[in-house]
Amino acid sequence: MQAVEKRAFKRTVYAVRDEDAALDIVQDAMIRLAERYADRPAAEWPMLFQRILSNATMDWFRHQKVRKGVMNLFSEMESGDGESDFDLLETLEDQSGSLGFESADETFSRQQTLLSIEEEVAKLPARQREAFLMRYWEEMDVAETAAAMGCSEGSVKTHCSRAVHALAQALKLKGISL
Amino acid sequence: MSPTRRWPPAEAEAQALEARFGLRVAARLHAGAEEVPHDVSERLRVARLQAVARARQARQPVAAPVRQTAPSIQLVHVDPYSGTLQGTVAMLDGDDERDEAWWRRLGILALVVMMGMGLFGIDWWHTQEQIRTTAEIDAALLGDALPPAAYTDPGFTEFVASHPLATPAAAEAGPAQ
Repeated sequence: MQAVEKRAFKRTVYAVRDEDAALDIVQDAMIRLAERYADRPAAEWPMLFQRILSNATMDWFRHQKVRKGVMNLFSEMESGDGESDFDLLETLEDQSGSLGFESADETFSRQQTLLSIEEEVAKLPARQREAFLMRYWEEMDVAETAAAMGCSEGSVKTHCSRAVHALAQALKLKGISL
Repeated sequence: MSPTRRWPPAEAEAQALEARFGLRVAARLHAGAEEVPHDVSERLRVARLQAVARARQARQPVAAPVRQTAPSIQLVHVDPYSGTLQGTVAMLDGDDERDEAWWRRLGILALVVMMGMGLFGIDWWHTQEQIRTTAEIDAALLGDALPPAAYTDPGFTEFVASHPLATPAAAEAGPAQ
């Protein structure tokens, strides 16, 4: 749990937009995992914790009675068919640059970039964000992500792909290159 | 899927590009997570320690009764390396606790019964007192000299005539045959 607690906190902040609430949710998820699944194999803990964290986040929303927000979060984001000039391959192949020596300006720029990335990740629909963060941030494979999200592997791939497209497009519009 | 949308020539290449982009975003997010404020990281650390402590408590349910009855363990001379003997002591301690709870319930029930009996006794005593007082008043009234107006009352005269025992002479003679 020590290795994932910070990522879990950030991931929950993206969902609930409230640091105190995110801390409570993460703590609740840790307690649930420790009390109910401590006897399970250690290999299952990452997937179990992600599932518990997702359920705890949903419970928080239910308790807040933000039905409209939940419906918006769980709706699929429509793809931008009207923006025909956007090419994912072109965007991704343009990614370049290395950190190298970092000045104060570069530090500030990096922090601004991070804030923009976090903002765009938070804007993603909940299922896309979950799939994206579990696949690339938690480094879970497709099968583990599908088990944690309670959906099929095909759905996980679809959610990830849409999330990547949406993030790439949003970051390109902001002039951010990774 | 729109036909005007340009897709990469190979699906595998597209997936590879998506994965690379995702990992780069994840790397930035990871850097941001490492810069979490100190108070937040401390709260997370405390939450983790509390969760681990609860998990340890949940895994040790038998230890609690043994600790609570330490004096009785000393009397029985439990071998700490013999699991069977410890298990036996734990069972005996459990029986003692059950007996103690049973006696506690019995005591409470006895107190309630005694309270009920006490209330009943008080009520009975009050009733007897009322009866006694009423009897004393009646005896005083009946034993007292008749007022002169009673002799002129036709109802009283009729009563005396129909109840011979009402006169002392008739009472000595006994009930009429």
